[in-house]
Amino acid sequence: MLNIYFGEMPEAIYNTNVYFNNTYKDSWITNQLTKDIIKAVDKSDVIDENTIMSPLFGNMSPKRLSGGVKTLILICFDKKNIFNASTCGDNCSEWILRIAQKRKVVINLHHLMDFGPKPFKAKILNTNKIVKNMAELVFEAGEFV
Amino acid sequence: MIGIQHVKVKNRDAEFEFDLNRNITIVRGDSGTGKTTLYDMIADHTRLKNKSGVNISCAKNCIALVDIDWNNQLKGTSDTIVFIDEGAEYIRTSIFAESIKHSDNYYVIFSRESLHNLPYSVEEIYEIKPSGKKYHKFVKMFKADKNHIYSLNSTASGNFEFDIFLTEDSKSGYQFYKHYFDTTNILCQSSGANSEIFKWLREHRDKKILVVADGAAFGSEIDRVLKLQSSVKENFRLCLPESFEWLILKSGLIKISDIASVLKNPSSHIESREYFSWENFFEAYLVRNTVNTPFQYAKKEINPTYLNENNRKKIVAEISII
Repeated sequence: MLNIYFGEMPEAIYNTNVYFNNTYKDSWITNQLTKDIIKAVDKSDVIDENTIMSPLFGNMSPKRLSGGVKTLILICFDKKNIFNASTCGDNCSEWILRIAQKRKVVINLHHLMDFGPKPFKAKILNTNKIVKNMAELVFEAGEFV
Repeated sequence: MIGIQHVKVKNRDAEFEFDLNRNITIVRGDSGTGKTTLYDMIADHTRLKNKSGVNISCAKNCIALVDIDWNNQLKGTSDTIVFIDEGAEYIRTSIFAESIKHSDNYYVIFSRESLHNLPYSVEEIYEIKPSGKKYHKFVKMFKADKNHIYSLNSTASGNFEFDIFLTEDSKSGYQFYKHYFDTTNILCQSSGANSEIFKWLREHRDKKILVVADGAAFGSEIDRVLKLQSSVKENFRLCLPESFEWLILKSGLIKISDIASVLKNPSSHIESREYFSWENFFEAYLVRNTVNTPFQYAKKEINPTYLNENNRKKIVAEISII
């Protein structure tokens, strides 16, 4: 299930861009879920572990992926850390929910990410309440952002 | 710095073109739209100038603020457009807000966070949209109708009957509206601060409420308030003119030689070093130009001249929902 802590969280990694660039593993890039995320969010194709084909930049390093995609990949594969998911746009939210369907995921948010009109389940760690849709999330977490 | 600053940033892969109207511009929106690309291009140019291969066309110097030494870098920066990446944790701090308050720079901040310490306008929050393969422009994230009503969809316009009128103001603006609604069944309330409006609306979700607040400094609140509106079946409307003093100036009651120019193009009159937010300027401008006149204005207490029926109507004409 998705667990969200809203607001200041000292243990969370805030600058996910820098952290990704210095820690990512080649195997993360060629994983099918990563390929799907990169295709959906950055409109780019994974060629191999060192090469992404971008419509804007041509062949590029994974270090040039968007900040949102980098954070999604970190949430997927670096299970020991908590990441600032406010580096992700709303177009990343469905992927966060998908990752959290399979295991417990904890993220840190500094804004009200839009998780879309469909029902979902997330625990707001600030209050320990579980919300089931966007309206409940806004009511529960709005005061923390 | 004053004036609208036109900026064009270009390299072999991408081109960004946009105008900056005020001292603080916020850029957010979806991932993969080019925020980091733009920041990296400015950062390359900051390090290597024209030898970076990045071409910047702008009347002002453009630089990227580097994380670790931001305070020192800012101290030596003047009359410059400063770009700040979303990984910069310090932008939330009051130290950062204080350090940019009296600077004559403009700031472009890439962040989805609310940034409650910064008084930025709802009109200066943008997302980046591609236009063609390489060209990118800034597009406003929040749009209003002609009466300054903001919403996330188009259903929140037209007539709206409300039981409570809520303003953030607790001084002259509140006194004005309280008098305005005195003879009606509408209750006039003050939240005390713009940051309290969200909580106030959440606690009064069973009421029909019209909120009027200063759009010039409501940027940090608009996202959560509009998301709340979507969540509560739109039981409230959010009206955000620049400020209460701006409404008075727009009313035509005050005759000042340059008022038409000031209202048409505020950017050309508002020095960012003197006024952190446009609402501060409009208040100072109104106070300065009404001294020793029947319309002498003071923030702490409304001058009764503004309360007579004709004048009241002219002041609220701009937000004709009332």
